[in-house]
Amino acid sequence: MQERLFGVKDTFIAGAIVAFFYLLFTQELGYLTGYAEILWWLVAILWAAVLFKKGFDYYRIMNSFGLSFLVIIGFIFVFFDLALKFEGIPRAIALFLIPLMTVAVLGYIHDKITTARELRRRRKIKVPVNKRVKTTLYKLDPIMIVFIVVGFSILITFLLVPVFMMLFNSFVVPPGEPFYYNFVYIFNNPPYVKHMLLPGEASWYAVIPSGNTSIIIFKGINYGIVVNSLINSTIVTTVATFLGILVAFVLARYDFPGKTFFRVLAMVPLFITPFVNAYVVRILFGPQGPISMLTQALFGYQIEIKDLAGIAMAQIMAFYPIVYLNAFSSFISIDPSMEEQAENLGSKGAKLFFTVTLPLALPGIIAGSILVFIFSLEDLGAPIVFQYPWVMSYQIYSSFTSETGIVSPQIAALGFIMLFIAVLAFLAVRSFVSMRSYAMISRGGRWKPRVRKLGWKGLLFVYLVMLPLIIFTAMPQIGVILLAFNIIPPYGFKIQLDKATAKYFIGIFTNPTYFQYIRNTLTYAAMAVVLATIISIIIAYSVSRTKIRVITPIMDTLATIPLAIPGLVIALGYFYFFSTFFRGTPLDPTSVTTFQAWIVLVIAYTIRKLPFVVRSVYAGFQQVHEALEEASLNLGASRTKTIFRIVLPMITTYIISGIIVGFIYITTEVSTSITIGGLNPAQAPMTFIMKNIYYGGTVYGVQYVASMGVLLILFQLIAVLIITVVLKQRYAFIGV
Amino acid sequence: MTRVRLENITKVYGSVVAVDRVTLEIESGELFTLLGPSGCGKTTTLRIIAGFEVPEEGKIYFDDEDVTFLKPYKRNTAMVFQNYALWPHMTVFDNIAYGLRIRKLPPEEIRRRVKWALELVKLEGLENRYPLQLSGGQQQRVALARALVVEPRVLLLDEPLSNLDAKLRIEMREEIKKLQRKLGITTVYVTHDQLEAMSISDRIAVMNKGKVLQYGPPRQVYFRPTNLFVADFLGRSNILYGKAGKQHDGYIDVYLPDLDATLTGVPVKEITSRDVAVVIRPEIARLVEKHEAVENKLVGRIDLAMFLGDKVELRVGIGKSSLIIYMSNLYEPTLGSEITFYLPKDSLIVLPAEKPLNKE
Repeated sequence: MQERLFGVKDTFIAGAIVAFFYLLFTQELGYLTGYAEILWWLVAILWAAVLFKKGFDYYRIMNSFGLSFLVIIGFIFVFFDLALKFEGIPRAIALFLIPLMTVAVLGYIHDKITTARELRRRRKIKVPVNKRVKTTLYKLDPIMIVFIVVGFSILITFLLVPVFMMLFNSFVVPPGEPFYYNFVYIFNNPPYVKHMLLPGEASWYAVIPSGNTSIIIFKGINYGIVVNSLINSTIVTTVATFLGILVAFVLARYDFPGKTFFRVLAMVPLFITPFVNAYVVRILFGPQGPISMLTQALFGYQIEIKDLAGIAMAQIMAFYPIVYLNAFSSFISIDPSMEEQAENLGSKGAKLFFTVTLPLALPGIIAGSILVFIFSLEDLGAPIVFQYPWVMSYQIYSSFTSETGIVSPQIAALGFIMLFIAVLAFLAVRSFVSMRSYAMISRGGRWKPRVRKLGWKGLLFVYLVMLPLIIFTAMPQIGVILLAFNIIPPYGFKIQLDKATAKYFIGIFTNPTYFQYIRNTLTYAAMAVVLATIISIIIAYSVSRTKIRVITPIMDTLATIPLAIPGLVIALGYFYFFSTFFRGTPLDPTSVTTFQAWIVLVIAYTIRKLPFVVRSVYAGFQQVHEALEEASLNLGASRTKTIFRIVLPMITTYIISGIIVGFIYITTEVSTSITIGGLNPAQAPMTFIMKNIYYGGTVYGVQYVASMGVLLILFQLIAVLIITVVLKQRYAFIGV
Repeated sequence: MTRVRLENITKVYGSVVAVDRVTLEIESGELFTLLGPSGCGKTTTLRIIAGFEVPEEGKIYFDDEDVTFLKPYKRNTAMVFQNYALWPHMTVFDNIAYGLRIRKLPPEEIRRRVKWALELVKLEGLENRYPLQLSGGQQQRVALARALVVEPRVLLLDEPLSNLDAKLRIEMREEIKKLQRKLGITTVYVTHDQLEAMSISDRIAVMNKGKVLQYGPPRQVYFRPTNLFVADFLGRSNILYGKAGKQHDGYIDVYLPDLDATLTGVPVKEITSRDVAVVIRPEIARLVEKHEAVENKLVGRIDLAMFLGDKVELRVGIGKSSLIIYMSNLYEPTLGSEITFYLPKDSLIVLPAEKPLNKE
């Protein structure tokens, strides 16, 4: 191995110099605009290229967790920096990152080329293509070919084609405009991207006198729809990740009285109660809410959190447990000897945590974080409840509610941008995580994880900081229950135990106006989960048992990618798909009176929630050693007989837990339910009516939909119990 | 009774040649062993016979029927897998009856034959247990019964004993041998354990890097290896390189510079080059008086002695080199003392000194 001349430090120096002179020239001297700036970017890139050519240790970047992550984030940042035409400091940051990213890309390409060349050199034996095909075909029994063809047809028809329909429509432009007009329009139009803030908009909080007190309102700054969504999702992801790691680490590594209680409480926010939980957050932080009462009593002013700040708050509280769960299982699956070895060599405390523990757990944690990012990006609950339309998800949603029955191309372009961000982040993180999945090798502790007693400082921290934090994040779910039983009123805040009643909860079953939505949801979920299970078996079997180059990996990716595709993109795609190919039929969403929303909803649910079922079934197939199947083939059973008599009976528990998880995620689905479902309200599911109540802004019916939230919580509770107690499996929540 | 014939079989995985132009003929009713280190292609060869893999080149015949592209479930072979591959959700009875049920035999017939198979492997009374309730040895027997009950044309055993402990392994080894004798079923046995291979087999094929280096009855392969790899892999060998001298009456003289001695041995293969190698098995050394005139007499110094129970292993320094030899366990060596021994020339093997792996 040749000696490397330059290291990461040199790229940072290069970046710093380039960025410094950029700031100097633009801010101070006013040069460097237009083409001159492009030249300056080229300088940054070329500088890095020279460093690389002279011998740069790019393995340092590939092997370092922080650096490679920085590069991935850098790409997303630079993309938006260019698209949104940032100036000043943000652009200087982009320029600062350019040299590092350049060497990383060059190193990556260089590596790919050398390995490809190496492979070609090693492959001395040339097997003719027809022989390769023949041997591949031999291993495929008829049923496997059927599986592959059916699996692909379904994924292509109901996933790829709709998404491409949306992509296609985002390039539908007014006559005489270039094909990218919609994107130019979005990136240059103040509602989407604000390059300048009006004087009144530049503050993220406001103090308003109210009677003899004053209200501090936290609201965030409106930078335009696209930027708002990005900033919000970034903040939510960062805070949720930090919180998740903190809580997970304390619970995974320390022992203290009441730990079990903490662990159970920390799971509470995982119960999905669309809209209702955000509504509770709104009450919690409303001007008359309990927090305000507290601050009024303590400091003499009230507080209110609304708009973007409210959305961020609601999302952090709802999504941080995703990171927590991933981080927790990562921490306990680290082999204790790793840390013991480090301690043995003299490392301890923060040093130990940052050099050994965190790097080993990070792949799992990041896998959770990226989902938080995507969920936050596509979340509709918080924006609708806070009635704040200036985020991407809300815009896409509201295009469905317009009376025209036409979704404008700009909305498709917005969907494109959302899809692009989500899928890019997802794929980058997935390949990044799979590259270093050391902590994932053995999920679940085969060993006794390291647990220590807490000292008094630690105990103080746990009871004074963490306990309130965990209780606080569980508030929405608790609040949902209180609302449902009328213990707190639908508006304002007070505890009114005397008015507690179960009539609303009973009402959702007896009152046909509410019950029809529950019936709809249950019917659709049952149908979708059956379909999803069949498709999952087909796909998971094909992926785990056929090893055909290109085809198998593509299928694998297609089956997991719906996780990264925002539901609104699916909704848009289905809208275009069905209104184009089924025009005039009952499946045409634009035919307002005859549209059979339920069919489209069932298909959308099936595809959207497929990854959850596939994952469970796939895990089952992986448990079945291939020799068990071969033994059956060997004794004369055909592949079909083998699948039905040997494999499927062996994985029933996995199939059942897949069905349960799929059912839960389908009943709580929001995006397509309230968009596609909204096109024929009589056939809409539960989440649609939940949205309607909060969207309308009336007080009427709040308790009823809160009761629906309670019903959903009950479903989820039963699901968790069945999976963990009866099936003795981990409740596989969410992960990449 | 089926004869299995492999003709020029080649199997390629990506850029690795797993099986390289293998030609074998397995006689009907014999126990044939594929022996070699891990990754030598023996299991792949077995899987090709079973039909789990299909070769890129070559043909497989069962008797005179070409089965190369016949699906595994139509071949009527029966395989015993390394991990037994018993279905955990079925009882012992159901596991064994599976193949019969697939063949749609009447229930009484199935019951009769499962009973026969259980008796055969001495597991009477365990029909209703589940595999996970059985010990490793019992699981092994169930796997064997499941394979035998369908009366396969060929029985395939993939390292069947590797998951058993040492004592049980010897016991099962004998049992498999007896069963195979009794039923007279053509059997292909894969193992990396040379003792297992030699004790059980009618014939052995030694494989390395996808190639069959030599095959024949155990004695022949052991005493007359045609290849340095085989000589080294089967049993222990001292391999020394030297220059060929003259040949006489089927023997050849070899000058070994390391020992500074000329030894006489049997050329197993035709010697065409002057560079040759001598294979000395440790157990052929015989003690001799220093003044006695015998062939291949060597004098050395005992550098290391290890008592192994059934024998004594000595490392004897001779010239610039050293030899490992075995003596009877009654022999009491003194470290550093001189030892004189001879190597009977009929047991000394002389091979061309090519690198062991480049056979062709």
